[in-house]
Amino acid sequence: MTIQETYKTRAKELLSSGRVKMVVGYKAGSTPDRRRPHFIRTPEEADRLILDSACIANLSGYLITEGLLSDEKSVGIFLKPDGVRSLNILAAESQLNIEQIVVLGFDVNNNEITALKGEKAEDFSTLIESLKEHVPQTPGNPLLERIEAMNAKERFAFWEAEFSRCIKCYACRQACPMCYCRRCIVDCNQPQWVNTSSHTLGNFEWNIVRAFHLSGRCVGCGNCDRACPVNIPLRLINAKMAHEVLGAFDHFAGMSQTQEPVLASFKKDDSETFIL
Amino acid sequence: MTRILLRDKLDNCVARWRKAGLTVIGPVKKETFSSYAAVENAAELDLSMIMPDRSIKGLFFPQTEPMLHYTIKKQALDIKDFTPPPEKRIIFGARPCDASGMAIDDPLFGWDYKDNFWFQRRNETVIVTIACTKADDFCMCTSLKLAPDSTKGSDVMLRPLQNNRGWLVEELTDRGRDAFNEIADLLQDGSEPEASIAVVPEKFDLDACVTWLQKTENFESTFWKEISMRCIGCASCTFLCPTCHCFDFQDEGDTYSGIRRKNWDSCSFALFTMHTSGHNPRATQSARWRQRIMHKFNYFPGKFNVNSCSGCGRCSRQCPVDMGITETLQAISTLQP
Repeated sequence: MTIQETYKTRAKELLSSGRVKMVVGYKAGSTPDRRRPHFIRTPEEADRLILDSACIANLSGYLITEGLLSDEKSVGIFLKPDGVRSLNILAAESQLNIEQIVVLGFDVNNNEITALKGEKAEDFSTLIESLKEHVPQTPGNPLLERIEAMNAKERFAFWEAEFSRCIKCYACRQACPMCYCRRCIVDCNQPQWVNTSSHTLGNFEWNIVRAFHLSGRCVGCGNCDRACPVNIPLRLINAKMAHEVLGAFDHFAGMSQTQEPVLASFKKDDSETFIL
Repeated sequence: MTRILLRDKLDNCVARWRKAGLTVIGPVKKETFSSYAAVENAAELDLSMIMPDRSIKGLFFPQTEPMLHYTIKKQALDIKDFTPPPEKRIIFGARPCDASGMAIDDPLFGWDYKDNFWFQRRNETVIVTIACTKADDFCMCTSLKLAPDSTKGSDVMLRPLQNNRGWLVEELTDRGRDAFNEIADLLQDGSEPEASIAVVPEKFDLDACVTWLQKTENFESTFWKEISMRCIGCASCTFLCPTCHCFDFQDEGDTYSGIRRKNWDSCSFALFTMHTSGHNPRATQSARWRQRIMHKFNYFPGKFNVNSCSGCGRCSRQCPVDMGITETLQAISTLQP
């Protein structure tokens, strides 16, 4: 049986047994290479489920849809390891009760899809541990390497050019499972703390605010990058911040549901001595 | 007598227009992104793409622009109006859907208040449209009763000749004629066989959709919740749309002096309709998506007798969660009226 068929059966079982009220997965999109989120509430709806190497979007953000989990019923969700990590962060930041989530785990590497064993977020902790151990020392991304080799002035010019395309549609924010604030700082308008204009300053303000808010929280799923309609390589900013946070605080985002947020916690051996 | 513009003369045309003081703008493809941008020569133009990622809307209605500068003194209020600096422009190689989009928005910007920012730019810009010879899965102009060779909103329509040799010139307005008189000696009299126009299959029955949308009981239909469940509430669709025109005023500065700006805004945002009391009449994403569809195909045509959609398909092409107007209207056209 293919992975897709195995998981289809699993989704049907979860729904027909009443174990979950909904399974969030993928279905066919408007073109052969597209997949779109699929909210499955009946075993029959599971027939349209698709699971293949094109299923790369991190769906965990849908779990905090207003009211979805408030009836305390469980929800199943298809997640890759990055999705499990963001689920852990959502739990660690008290955004959901992780006991309500049944994970249907899978991974996609080099266009190959594999099933992952487990159904609770914690079942994937060994896998996530090993991801942390195997974080590459070098960026492994030609563009990121090019940026790393730049001096501060060149880097500024690079991002200024990239951000000049930003139209502040906030697709990056809306697609990000970590951007769950009911009212984002840029939407606080009494007073308006951050300019809404998408001119040079406004675009820098927005993208830097977001980079800081995601430091130590981004799991590198790439939702922002793929969502950006003007193709700003947003993932690189967050990848850089994740790298900094790992080096400075040995923090790898989303290790467990009890992991303390790096920028809201303190350890005696933190490298910043000025705090004490 | 019909006239022809040969492709190998295009560079001379660009030079001539620039010499006459026009900014020449056209489809430009950068590494990862395409848009309509100013060019210095014809080689910078990419006339082979289906359409640029961004529409031409921003050239007439920029994403942000200053409106006035204010200074508040003890007994006086100083206001200096901004007006866009005069700039004569020619857009070469606009898509018919983009050009139509501008014509669709004209009545809106000139309705109860005449928006000089919009009309100054409209009057100073010549839109030279090239009919489409290819389309992709997201193109839907024909479903909107337009076509890959619609002349709506264009000052000049160019019909591609076979073998990529050039275009048959069809001047539509005085503005267009003036711009092409500038290059009259670079044109050639006569006619040549035209390339075939793109085939864009109709994707939905617009009339059936409009009938359904106009029925007041459908406003509360559960359909809206179902169709918009995966909408993440970004403004990618509205900001890429050639006809979406909503904006917001923002004062940037302090209590005593600053700049009032006009910025793009979107009905997808929760903040769009948020009242100062905290009450939001469009509290859910489904209510916001319904508004977008109702506005385009019910309210706007009710007021201006034209749909606020030119069928470019950017909303679907670039939606992060693969939604869009096409899917919604396809779904509506299968519902019982």
